[in-house]
Amino acid sequence: MKRNLSIAIAAIIALSTWSCSKNTPVDSDGLLITTRKECSVSSFELLGTDFVSVRVGAAVIDTVAQTVKCTVQFGTDLRNLYPQFSLAQDCKLTPKITGLTDFSDLTHPRQWTVISGDRKIQKTYTVTLTVQPR
Amino acid sequence: MMRNIIVLIGGLALFAASCKKSDYALPTPSTRLQNQAIKRTLGPNIVGQVIEFAYAGAILKGKLTSFQADATIAGGAGTYMEYRSFYTASTGADVGVPVGNPSVTKTTNTTVTFNVDTNAATLRYYYVVPEEARGKTVTITFTAKSSDGESISTVMGPYTVAKMDMKLNMKVTDNNAMYISIADTTVYNATDAAAHAGSIDLVYLYRNLTTSAFGHALVSPAADPAYLPGVTLPAGVNRSTKELKAFNLQDHNLAPTEQYGGIFIDDIDFQTIDLSNSPNYAINLKADAGVWCQTADGTYKAYIFFNSVATSGTATVSMKRYKLK
Repeated sequence: MKRNLSIAIAAIIALSTWSCSKNTPVDSDGLLITTRKECSVSSFELLGTDFVSVRVGAAVIDTVAQTVKCTVQFGTDLRNLYPQFSLAQDCKLTPKITGLTDFSDLTHPRQWTVISGDRKIQKTYTVTLTVQPR
Repeated sequence: MMRNIIVLIGGLALFAASCKKSDYALPTPSTRLQNQAIKRTLGPNIVGQVIEFAYAGAILKGKLTSFQADATIAGGAGTYMEYRSFYTASTGADVGVPVGNPSVTKTTNTTVTFNVDTNAATLRYYYVVPEEARGKTVTITFTAKSSDGESISTVMGPYTVAKMDMKLNMKVTDNNAMYISIADTTVYNATDAAAHAGSIDLVYLYRNLTTSAFGHALVSPAADPAYLPGVTLPAGVNRSTKELKAFNLQDHNLAPTEQYGGIFIDDIDFQTIDLSNSPNYAINLKADAGVWCQTADGTYKAYIFFNSVATSGTATVSMKRYKLK
């Protein structure tokens, strides 16, 4: 009886260990590390505190020069903006965007780094804003 | 083996027992006087506004003689209890059936005395929140009495009355009534603004520019002149108000007719919102847009909502205001 119980417990532990094991690794953010090598920004949005876009026209993204150029409306509060990036599949962005971002220092544009799905390629994008004249 | 069978049978017995349902018995109605109340008004309790209750009483034997509402703080002018009991007609309209004399209010106490033979009624009670209740709590005790001398009560509350107040539907007009004072909750023209220069917090203006989306704007007098094109400020009007734009924050008190206006701004929103890093202007405002504000002296925070705008350079705005100190 005691032996049966031991076998049963051992089987359950083995089963649960096997079911938890993964073939695909995850990174420190818990995101899947894939084999993809694409590493780029596909679109860019900029929202004001009212969550309404402040862009004038579409942002110009140069994946070779690794730049994002965006014109914002006259009167935009540059200290309080929500940037939004769309990235190539499986990529991630660093530093993370956690809330309002200050873009007010136009002489020192903000930079973000895109990391590919396989986490081996990194490309740093510079985001330059231009304020529409009145 | 035998032991396992016993355990199995035991388990099945337990399962069967757990599924057994006790027979349903119809509840026996009480012959004593019964009562119940609900608060019909949603959202914060604001000074000058009405809190509506529905109070129901019923008895099997005898008849109702009176309904009474007793508030811990006397209601403001206009506090009353309906003397009609309402039912909903097939058309959906509420139809009132008089069951008593019009209510009599004496300080904290409002009473309706029944003058018909009825053993069940639901009456509405409208409590106008008085100035004395600002920032305090109010409790309403409803009492029903019957012909056999019985009495029963229900206590509703305590309800916290908001510290904030509000002003609805202020008309602003570019180049005329365009100077807004949060402290006075008033819109002034240039002449009156000069007389109240120390309390002017915002300037409303409308500019239809081809080069940028300026539109309707609320700008601090002290803002960069680029945001006040063509505006000559009255002497002494120079305050700088912090402003944070919002959109589609349709407070139900400020915009009661909005389809999706199920949001209520309350004291806690003013207490928690941080405007310290906000600019002193807000342009390109549209209908349903709003602006959180904090006055230069730090006395007030406010939320100004644009109920409607017109390209003629006018707008209707409503304001909730919270005194910080």
